[in-house]
Amino acid sequence: MAMLDVIRRGTPDPPHDLWPRLRARLEEQDDVVRLRIPSLGWTGVAALAAALATLWIVPDPLAFLAASGIL
Amino acid sequence: MTSRVPRRELLAYLIGAGVAGTILIGPYVLRAIAGEVYVPDRALPMAPIVVLPVVWGLWNLVWARRQPAIGVASWGAALGLGLACFINLTLAARGFWFRSALLTVPFLPLVYWLLWGFVVGPLNEALGVEGGVPAEIPRAGAR
Repeated sequence: MAMLDVIRRGTPDPPHDLWPRLRARLEEQDDVVRLRIPSLGWTGVAALAAALATLWIVPDPLAFLAASGIL
Repeated sequence: MTSRVPRRELLAYLIGAGVAGTILIGPYVLRAIAGEVYVPDRALPMAPIVVLPVVWGLWNLVWARRQPAIGVASWGAALGLGLACFINLTLAARGFWFRSALLTVPFLPLVYWLLWGFVVGPLNEALGVEGGVPAEIPRAGAR
C-alpha cells in the first residue's frame, strides 16, 4: 500500500475540467479579419439616391422590388 | 477522392453565395409579410431568385480568377445589368411583364453596384480574395 501511495503522489491528477484548455486553444487559433468598409462618397450617395428615386417613381414599388428579386 | 481548388477561388465563391443567400431573406420572408399586409388580394411577380447564390458565387469566382481591370463594384453592376435583362425576358415569357419592369435595367445595376462595392468587395479584401494573397486560416494544431 505504501508503494501505491508513493506512485499516486508522484503522478499528477489528469485535468478533469477540459473547458479552460479548449477555450485557450480556440482563442489561440482565433484569427482576426480586418473588414474595411469604404466610405460612401458622392458616387455612393448618388447611386443610393437614384435607386430610391426609382422606387419613388414606379407605380407599384412592391411589384417592382419583387420583380427585381429583392423582395 | 480529393480535388485541388485554389483557396482564393473557393473563398470567392463562398463569399458571393453567402452574401446572396443572406439577401434572400428579403424575397422569402419580407415578401410574404409585405404581400400579406399591403397587397393581400393579388400575387407579386416572382423572379428566378433561387439561383442567386450560385450566380453570385460563380460571378465572384470569375472575378477572383480573372482579376479584371474594373472595380468589384462595377463587376457586380455588370451582373445586375445581365440579371435585369434576364428578369425582363423571364417575365415576358411568363406573361407577367409590366412596363415599369424595364426600370430594373438601370435599378438593379445600381443596387448591385452598392452591394458589391460595400459588402462583397470588403469581404473579398478582408479574406485575401482580391489582393491575390490567400487568407491565412489557421489549421487545427498549428502554432
